[in-house]
Amino acid sequence: MLPPTTTTDVLAAVPAPGAASSWRRISTGDDTVAVAERAALGTTARLAVWPPESLSAALGAVDGVLSALDRQASRFREDSEIAWIHRSGGGRFMLSNGFAEAVSVALEAARWTGGLVDPTVGDALISLGYDRDFAAIDPERGGPAGAPVPAPGWQTVRLDGPILSLPAGVRLDLGATAKGLGSDRAARAVMNAAGQAGGVLVSLGGDIAVAGQSPRDGWPILVADGPEDPASSLTQNVRLAGGAVATSSVTCRQWRRAGQVLHHIVDPRTGLPADGPWQTVSVAAATCADANAAATAAVVAGERAQEWLAVAGQPARLVARDGQVRYVGGWPDADGGRVNVSPASHVYRGSRPGVLR
Amino acid sequence: MDAERDPRRGQVRLPAFAEPAAAGWQAPEADGPALAGRSGKARRVGIRQVRRMSNWTAAALIVGTGATTVALAHHAISVGAPAAAASSSSSGVVTTVTAQGASGPQVSHSVATTSASGVTTTTTSQVVNGKTVVSQVRHAPAYHDN
Repeated sequence: MLPPTTTTDVLAAVPAPGAASSWRRISTGDDTVAVAERAALGTTARLAVWPPESLSAALGAVDGVLSALDRQASRFREDSEIAWIHRSGGGRFMLSNGFAEAVSVALEAARWTGGLVDPTVGDALISLGYDRDFAAIDPERGGPAGAPVPAPGWQTVRLDGPILSLPAGVRLDLGATAKGLGSDRAARAVMNAAGQAGGVLVSLGGDIAVAGQSPRDGWPILVADGPEDPASSLTQNVRLAGGAVATSSVTCRQWRRAGQVLHHIVDPRTGLPADGPWQTVSVAAATCADANAAATAAVVAGERAQEWLAVAGQPARLVARDGQVRYVGGWPDADGGRVNVSPASHVYRGSRPGVLR
Repeated sequence: MDAERDPRRGQVRLPAFAEPAAAGWQAPEADGPALAGRSGKARRVGIRQVRRMSNWTAAALIVGTGATTVALAHHAISVGAPAAAASSSSSGVVTTVTAQGASGPQVSHSVATTSASGVTTTTTSQVVNGKTVVSQVRHAPAYHDN
């Protein structure tokens, strides 16, 4: 676990009724947008809106979405829907609309990526030691990890509307899509709260969705490789006018077992942490769930990542373990370049991202 | 069946764009010549008013339609061309509708960072000795995936 390095420029505490923690206003140097962030879902949620006057309503909308998503899909909450299903040991379940959408998106992501991301990696993660909230994992705990558990396969899971059929012994983990889904839902919820006026950017742990009218030339976003070196040359400023961008990396959420460094991106085929040439992949897509899934799939795909991204038509930025940066699918290679995305989503089957509770 | 295929079937011509008022516009003159003269004059005035209103209505419709078309075109979604080296899957669902920043505010500094599982870089600014100093600070909080 990497400790927080410093604090943000806190301008004011923004109360958020019902939220686990309060929002903090952030000064970014522009007073044309209002920016705030708080801890959420074990990561940082950040919200930027314009006009700035719409911030208060936007915070409430995001709080509602995050709270609902946590109740639906957190493996680490005893009272979540996914935990209830796992305790039941398989069978048929009537899901809430929100959780049904989350599972549907995860299954569609698996279908789209040919199984490079797979929601049935729950047992694989547990075997590797990711069996509790990441903040509660002892990064240096002794003893080896359990034997690798290849994923049973997303095809073993059936979802018919809100009815989920889950074989006994199959545990779900929606980590490859859930944060992106949350950003999509939150951005949509903010626009609904604002009567579709203005624009919004929502970031959940760096998985970013934008909606509404963007600032001129798009939302300015920093794309970074890793957390260790703020002055790294492996950063890039881009502009995003629509859609989403997400990043997956093997350089964080690491822990050790018997001297072996493990991380949270698991190759479903082997049940082991992905061991390809890419340490960080950023992908732009129509929705953040698409971008989230594609970025994780690219890390898992290894040598095939560039080909897969090109065929999928996803602009991407890949950073190799040796520091080389590759651009695929129209991702701008210049600083300040604009990222354009196709409007087609691959993971929202026949629908637009919902604001489901 | 042929009548059903007549593309003009069901069309109604606006009086203002037609020949002088057709018989169908005239009412029977049942109250004698004098009354008929007065009523005929009133009827002609009425018809002119109706024509005038129809002209204005048609003009308003044309102008409104044009303005709407221009507005929609102005706010059309900016969709980047598909990647040069990529062929997009046809199975995708068109979903996100986000407008281009034609009239949004000017924003110069990055408002968010996408990086290794969400490390947040905060751009801050403060005035030091009369100069605005912009700095970036990286956060590395503990994360978990849900």
